Amino acid sequence: MDERTGRRLGVIALHVVVISGALLTVAPIAFMIYSSFKTTTEIFTLPPWLPPAEWSFKNYETLLTSWHFPYWYANSIIYAAVVTIFVLFFCSLAGFAFAKYYFRGKNLLFIILIGSTMIPFQLILIPLFILMSRIDWVNHPASMIIPWMAPAFGIFLMRQYIQAVPSELMESARIDGASEFRIYAQVIVPLVRPGLTTLAILTFLGSWNSFIWPLMVLRGNEVITLPVGIATMRSQATAAQIPYGEMMAAATLVSVPVIVLFIALQRYFISGLTIGAVKG
Amino acid sequence: MVQAAMSRGREARESGGFQQHKLAPYAFISPFYILFAFFFMAPSLIALVLSLFRWDGINDPRFVLARNYGRLLSDKVFAQVATNTAIYAIASLLIVLPLALVLAVLLNAKSLRFSNVWRAMYFTPVVTSTVAITLVFQILYSRDTGLLNAPLIYLGLEPIYWLGDRSWVKVAIIILIAWRSTGLLTIYFLAGLQSIPEELYEAASIDGASMLQKFFRITIPMLRPIILFVSIIVLLGSIQIFDEIHILTSGTGGPANASMSVVQYLYERGYTRLRLGFASAVGTVLFATVFILSLLQLQWYGVFRNAD
Repeated sequence: MDERTGRRLGVIALHVVVISGALLTVAPIAFMIYSSFKTTTEIFTLPPWLPPAEWSFKNYETLLTSWHFPYWYANSIIYAAVVTIFVLFFCSLAGFAFAKYYFRGKNLLFIILIGSTMIPFQLILIPLFILMSRIDWVNHPASMIIPWMAPAFGIFLMRQYIQAVPSELMESARIDGASEFRIYAQVIVPLVRPGLTTLAILTFLGSWNSFIWPLMVLRGNEVITLPVGIATMRSQATAAQIPYGEMMAAATLVSVPVIVLFIALQRYFISGLTIGAVKG
Repeated sequence: MVQAAMSRGREARESGGFQQHKLAPYAFISPFYILFAFFFMAPSLIALVLSLFRWDGINDPRFVLARNYGRLLSDKVFAQVATNTAIYAIASLLIVLPLALVLAVLLNAKSLRFSNVWRAMYFTPVVTSTVAITLVFQILYSRDTGLLNAPLIYLGLEPIYWLGDRSWVKVAIIILIAWRSTGLLTIYFLAGLQSIPEELYEAASIDGASMLQKFFRITIPMLRPIILFVSIIVLLGSIQIFDEIHILTSGTGGPANASMSVVQYLYERGYTRLRLGFASAVGTVLFATVFILSLLQLQWYGVFRNAD
């Protein structure tokens, strides 16, 4: 076997391995979408690639009419959108201060910021819940929004982006008499749109997929979010009557829009995840 | 109007502009510190104090000193859940991390066509709702009709009781963790691979190095900081695992606690059974572990820098 044939075989093997792995990775998602058109009996019939006896949107219809699914969807969108707006504002503002100002105690405050990421959320899970019940925020939208409005990670991310903005732009705005907040709003914000997009995607996604906190603080079919709602579909049913078809329809509706969004905005998403890794 | 606003700005500057410049950064960063103090620092301190009390949230708390910790250390269930969590962490480090590293190298290969398409496919689990996909896996793991048992059933062999067997349930969870996190780790490694100078590989090629030699002599040593960084992420993620197990085992952590994680244990004792002091002790132990890991991370970085 000459060297050329060997290299060709290598390239073919590379493609075989990469493509089969990729197919294996998306297989459960394909299974989920495919199953959403089947009855529960059909979902548990082997082999799984057998088509349903009748293609129908029946699971989706039942989901939208007999469950509180539209409420869950609306709640998830509202919480995620509101949290994202606050996070964008507070994190870019604080990131701006850490990137472009010199002030007393800056180093210490920055160490506190970074150190805060070392507190695992689970340590405060129970006491934060106690706090919520003391101030009557259990089952109140505030518990889903206010504690999460200014994450340290977001401030760090925005600081990285704002550091790249030339300080001369700020100086000339200041000479023109712009207030500090105007410099932020009219000079900095337009220049760090990619950073804001990245932060928006990560925040929205985190809120959209969050589970343990809404599971604890939200009660009642009309106020819970999508992941909690879908989990309830299973836990409320008796073992013999778990509505798997409808659950697969719900799972499809919760994940497919996000996957499409991710494919469209991949670049921002990946830069947001790696900014800490490469710099660190 | 702009003119008017600008002249107002100038006036402000003349009167108190300098002050504003000095105070502005404090105003800009204050939301974080206010929220942090109220919703993170205060609860953390409450957790530390509460871990010394016995409290059900209704009657008066009773001071018990370190008894919660003593009970925790002698609790068989805690030993079990700590072992389970350690198993998930070790499996992630020894299986998922190398898998992601090799995958990143393959996806980075220049001869790979349509690499963007394959990358997007590998990354989808990162954004997919954990609850949604875990329900899918629950179906795939079903004993008599699940897809994962299909080959065994087809061959007439005894199907595996994935979610009902004390050992297999852990395997089932590790497979789910691998599915969920390989893509994420691959993103980190791909970013790291971009920082390796191409010349190193070219020089090695001229010297006649094989693919494997290049991988072990160039890629791994050059990626060392990223590998350490990812290891910590993997450990921290494993220690905090909850969603997957809670859904997959229908909230039980079963069979007989065989799959329960530390956080699930904390949730169950604290939230379900209202043993608030005891759950706070669990949280504190968790915090100590995370803290030590973070210090180790700093230590490792130090070692790495000296070696340079």
